[in-house]
Amino acid sequence: MSTDITADPAALAAGSEPDRVNHFQLLRGLGFAAVGMVLLLAMWWVGGYAVQNNPATTAFADFAPGPALSRLQDMLSSGEAWEMTVPSLQRVLQGMVIAIAIGVPVGILIGRVQVLREITNIPFQFLRMISPLSWMPIAVMAFATWDGAIVFLIAVAAVWPILFSTAAGLRRVDPSWFKVARNLGARPWHMLFVIIFPAISQDILTGIRLALGVAWIVLVPAEYLGVTSGLGYSINDARDTLEYDRLAATVVIIGVIGFLLDFACQQAIAKLSWHRED
Amino acid sequence: MLKGAHLAVEKVSHTYRRGRQQALVDIDLEVKPGEALALVGRSGCGKSTLLHIMSGLLAPSAGKVWIDGAKVEEPSPRWVVMFQQPSLYPWMTVAQNVALGLRFTGRSREIASRVPEMLKLVELSDYADRNVQDLSGGQQQRVALARSLAPSPEILFLDEPFSALDAFTRGSLQRDVRRIARELGITLILVTHDLPEAVTMADRAVVLSANPGRIREIVPIELENRDDLRTAEYAKARGRLAAAYEHAAGLGLAPGAEPASAKRAATGGGEDGQGRNAALPAAR
Repeated sequence: MSTDITADPAALAAGSEPDRVNHFQLLRGLGFAAVGMVLLLAMWWVGGYAVQNNPATTAFADFAPGPALSRLQDMLSSGEAWEMTVPSLQRVLQGMVIAIAIGVPVGILIGRVQVLREITNIPFQFLRMISPLSWMPIAVMAFATWDGAIVFLIAVAAVWPILFSTAAGLRRVDPSWFKVARNLGARPWHMLFVIIFPAISQDILTGIRLALGVAWIVLVPAEYLGVTSGLGYSINDARDTLEYDRLAATVVIIGVIGFLLDFACQQAIAKLSWHRED
Repeated sequence: MLKGAHLAVEKVSHTYRRGRQQALVDIDLEVKPGEALALVGRSGCGKSTLLHIMSGLLAPSAGKVWIDGAKVEEPSPRWVVMFQQPSLYPWMTVAQNVALGLRFTGRSREIASRVPEMLKLVELSDYADRNVQDLSGGQQQRVALARSLAPSPEILFLDEPFSALDAFTRGSLQRDVRRIARELGITLILVTHDLPEAVTMADRAVVLSANPGRIREIVPIELENRDDLRTAEYAKARGRLAAAYEHAAGLGLAPGAEPASAKRAATGGGEDGQGRNAALPAAR
């Protein structure tokens, strides 16, 4: 009976050969990423050059990488970049917390209770397809502060990916896991915390990652509303004062932070995943 | 030393909600403490349905099941079921999987002593901290066995638990499960369509006929030596069981006009489909 113990895939996989392959793949990935970034910069530079040499657009020449990046450096060293980012991050964080607090429990309910799923399916699909920014006038009326309205818009945008991803993840869970747990004496809270949450953690995180992407996109137009802080406000402000280098630098900040947020989510998903890739 | 439980099935009949025909009719059955009983019969005889009813995972349309005099209303860690798939939780280690029953029933203090003991019993002591996804199919089924045994059940139900394994692994698990059940004094109730498995593992085999599922015959299996499958007594026991099985299956086809394959196509797929589907709502 010990024969099946000797065939051990984990022990076989622990050699040094895969390490070398991984290093090579990592370098290769970084190399390609660098090529892509250089291409993007080159296109930006070409665009800036064309704008500058066209008499009709020469007023916008500060969009080019040269002025924009040197302005970015000033903004970073003066702390201005940080000052405009913090309020935006706070609003996104608040909106995401609300979206998770609603999306995960509701997603679990509709993933688990078929009647609820059938009742909510069409209304939810209908609401999901409405651009969050359509709620802007209502949000402005409903909330006492501009900040409240912006957080609401972000939450409305972010709740759907979380909710649907959670529900879909739960529906894919092997029903025999519930049967075995019930047989071993699991109570409802055991079922939720010991079985359901670990089983769908990756689906929830994937939903959060998608939601964060949507929230970050909705943030900038939402900050065009009344507020006097944040990245969206800074863009509007730079346009009004004709500081196109500051505008382009702000766009770069938005892109970099969005990328970092997504990267952090991706790392969290990889870290918490129990799925095997092979 | 643990004691196996006594189980009695009293006039159990069952019809699936969408089934046109009764899956089980008037089943009366008694299992003695510490006995090993096999339920055999061809597809559609309701043997898996009967096991789900006995374990409380499925409520019968009529009749009752008693375990040690108490009516079975729901599943319990005192009588556990092992299925064809090990259904281990892949985000847990081997030891965490084995500890689940104790954790769920508020006996976490016993985990430290009981889990290593169970892993030793199934000969996987070195694997406690491994992720279950690193294990082979046979090892996973051993972990499932350890998980089932950790809460000290009085009855172990097996629903064709080894049919997905290769012949060698299957053979060693069959012998080990019987030996362990014997050592612990647990009552063993096993569903199988594999006659050699029934002969190797059970003291008695209940032969069911299909459409509707009824008990046709109860065949005692008395073997001196269950480790060697080439003895005359083994061949004789297997022959008796095979005769009873064919007799029951033949009665299922009774008036003889229909070819067996057509009959099976019309009804045979029913059990697997119905049996499994029916178990799911019960699990919710």
